[in-house]
Amino acid sequence: MVVVRRRWFQVPWEFRESSIFTALSVLVGFIVQYATSGQGIPMFRLPVNAVVLAVFAALILGTGLGFRENEMVKWFGGIPLGLCLIVAISVLSLIGGVVPQGGLMAGSLFALLGVNQIFSSWPFALTVVLFLANLGLSLSWRLVPFNMKNLQFILFHAGFWIALSCGVFGAPDLQRLVVKVDEGESSNLAWSMENDTEQRLPFSVVLHDFSLEEYPPQLFLYDPHKEQPLQERTKRTTLVHKGAKASWKGVDVEVVDFLPSALPGKNGDPEPAESKAGVPFAKLRIASADAAPIDAWISTGSPMMKPYAAQFRELYFVMMPGAPKAFRSDVTVHGESGQQTSATLEVNHPINVMGWKLYQMGYDNEVGRWSKYSLIEVIRDPWLPAVYLGFFMIMAGNLMFFWNGIKQKGGVS
Amino acid sequence: MIVDFNTAAITAIAFWATGSLLGLFARRTPVLKLPALILSFAGSLVMVCFIGLYWSLLDRPPLRTLGETRLWYAALIPLVGFLVEYRWKITWLKYYCMGLAVFFLVINMNHPEVFDKTLMPALQSPWFIPHVVVYLIGYVMLAASSVTALHNVFLQLRSKENVAGESVSHYLALLGFVLLSFGLIFGALWAKEAWGHYWTWDPKETWAFLSWLAYLGYLHAYRYKIDQGKLQWYLALSFLVLLVCWFGVNYLPSAQNSVHTYTNG
Ligand code: HEM
Repeated sequence: MVVVRRRWFQVPWEFRESSIFTALSVLVGFIVQYATSGQGIPMFRLPVNAVVLAVFAALILGTGLGFRENEMVKWFGGIPLGLCLIVAISVLSLIGGVVPQGGLMAGSLFALLGVNQIFSSWPFALTVVLFLANLGLSLSWRLVPFNMKNLQFILFHAGFWIALSCGVFGAPDLQRLVVKVDEGESSNLAWSMENDTEQRLPFSVVLHDFSLEEYPPQLFLYDPHKEQPLQERTKRTTLVHKGAKASWKGVDVEVVDFLPSALPGKNGDPEPAESKAGVPFAKLRIASADAAPIDAWISTGSPMMKPYAAQFRELYFVMMPGAPKAFRSDVTVHGESGQQTSATLEVNHPINVMGWKLYQMGYDNEVGRWSKYSLIEVIRDPWLPAVYLGFFMIMAGNLMFFWNGIKQKGGVS
Repeated sequence: MIVDFNTAAITAIAFWATGSLLGLFARRTPVLKLPALILSFAGSLVMVCFIGLYWSLLDRPPLRTLGETRLWYAALIPLVGFLVEYRWKITWLKYYCMGLAVFFLVINMNHPEVFDKTLMPALQSPWFIPHVVVYLIGYVMLAASSVTALHNVFLQLRSKENVAGESVSHYLALLGFVLLSFGLIFGALWAKEAWGHYWTWDPKETWAFLSWLAYLGYLHAYRYKIDQGKLQWYLALSFLVLLVCWFGVNYLPSAQNSVHTYTNG
């Protein structure tokens, strides 16, 4: 067989031309980034971004269908360029995956090149646009004329095209704000963490009650000379429950009694109390080979009450509150035109109100379950349905791919 | 703990070791084939039972920490090896798979602190299990794909014809890619519920995206009829990206502000 080597830039173009083109595009992106440093990419909001996206899509579809036989267009929608662009996106993402992202190094060369915010930099944006053009052209050829055989290809590629384009073009319309509400109060002021501004919401949130559940507390050994909990050495946290045992260097500890919620009684010993006010108490039996066992109550304490510790020789046994298990806010949302909704917000259980989504976000970390306020994140993303449509198309394509892949197994296609 | 991890791990390792040993002898003495298979299988069964018991003990699926995902990996990887032997009559893969499983169990035996009971609120979601299970199975497939590809590379270097091996690594990569795609999308849908946005370029997300791109690139190169032999190198090396995503992200400079690094250990 005679191997005919293609000359540079001889049609049809392949990997060499595609890699040069891709590398140049990324370079141009970095140059633009450097030249316009600090200004960022202009962000268009609805309806401008929707119009721009529609024009872009129409342009690609028109080019793909109108110039289907043109060698340049064929190259632009082909796999070699697609692969090179995938590599370019990978390299840029790799930078974003290694270099800490955030505005830390203002003024440095890194910041001027956008390396510390790569995903909103010019090189990344340019590559994504080229990627969309490439993907869109290849898609246009499979869409027209339509053939059921291409359904799997269409679901994958159109799904990805829709999700990526709507995610990117719709980003300026995404609003993420935080509302801080005190218990028993109402607020319609929201804080934007991105640009440090306050804005008024079209609704107000009333916080009736904030509550937090904890995991069982943990037992720690504390050596006052070392100023650090000794728990690190055994590397094992001991969750406190009745019957729990632990030992450190010949000292054995057993939890002989545990009250998840109690308050000190008259003689100092704890008595069970209702869960809103009480704190966990545990009775420890501490023993070692050369000393009689002693019993002592310990407790985590609260902002209103000092913790109890148990002393054994120069060591102290202390109990730390458990990690938060769940926290929730009972709220009522009042709209401007009188409508109202009551709900309980919890992590992983956001609610939809008047086109916004409300999330339980945080609370006063200093005091944990005694927090008097709740932080609620309110989010609006008008482009979400389009992005999700893309996701579901990809998943449908995936299912077909899975099925067909299994069916053809064994043979190399 | 009622079910002691070390006992379970050592039992499983013993089963795999004797199973493999018998398997090697079975080349000469075919009657040993069945007992070898049963013993190797029993090793995975022990791990599956351990995971089941541990799950009921914890009151939550043991899928939170890296240590816990290693348990699943240890139970599932050998099963892929057995499946490949059954379907494609390739016998050597299971030995690699059992070796890898032993490696994961030994890591866990040396780090008892990875077994912690608490589950933070953001992880308490119906998405948690599908997301992690899909990823785990995907990683198992891709690990097997890489091992097969590496084996193919060695055969190539000794100029041996090996079409069957290449199609195995290809199909494992293909199935793995499908599962990665599901995992990525499930993750995005979950993130929207838990953190308010489906994609934030968090380092963990970025690396998950990178590993997905690596296999996307592979599939297109394959479609473009790039030499299958060369692509074996690519498949063998792709797993490195997955490893960074899985273990390595916590150690990268970018991880200092990740929301997903609760899985220390
Ligand atoms: C860079 C842009 C892309 C281009 C130019 C492109 C082009 C192509 C082409 C021409 C094929 C061959 C189809 C065949 O031979 O039947 C293909 C297959 C495939 N592509 Fe893409 N693709 C791109 C991006 C993507 C993306 C982002 C995804 C994932 C969402 C994807 C997933 C697939 C899959 C799974 C196949 C194999 C399935 C099939 O053959 O139907 N591609 N692609």
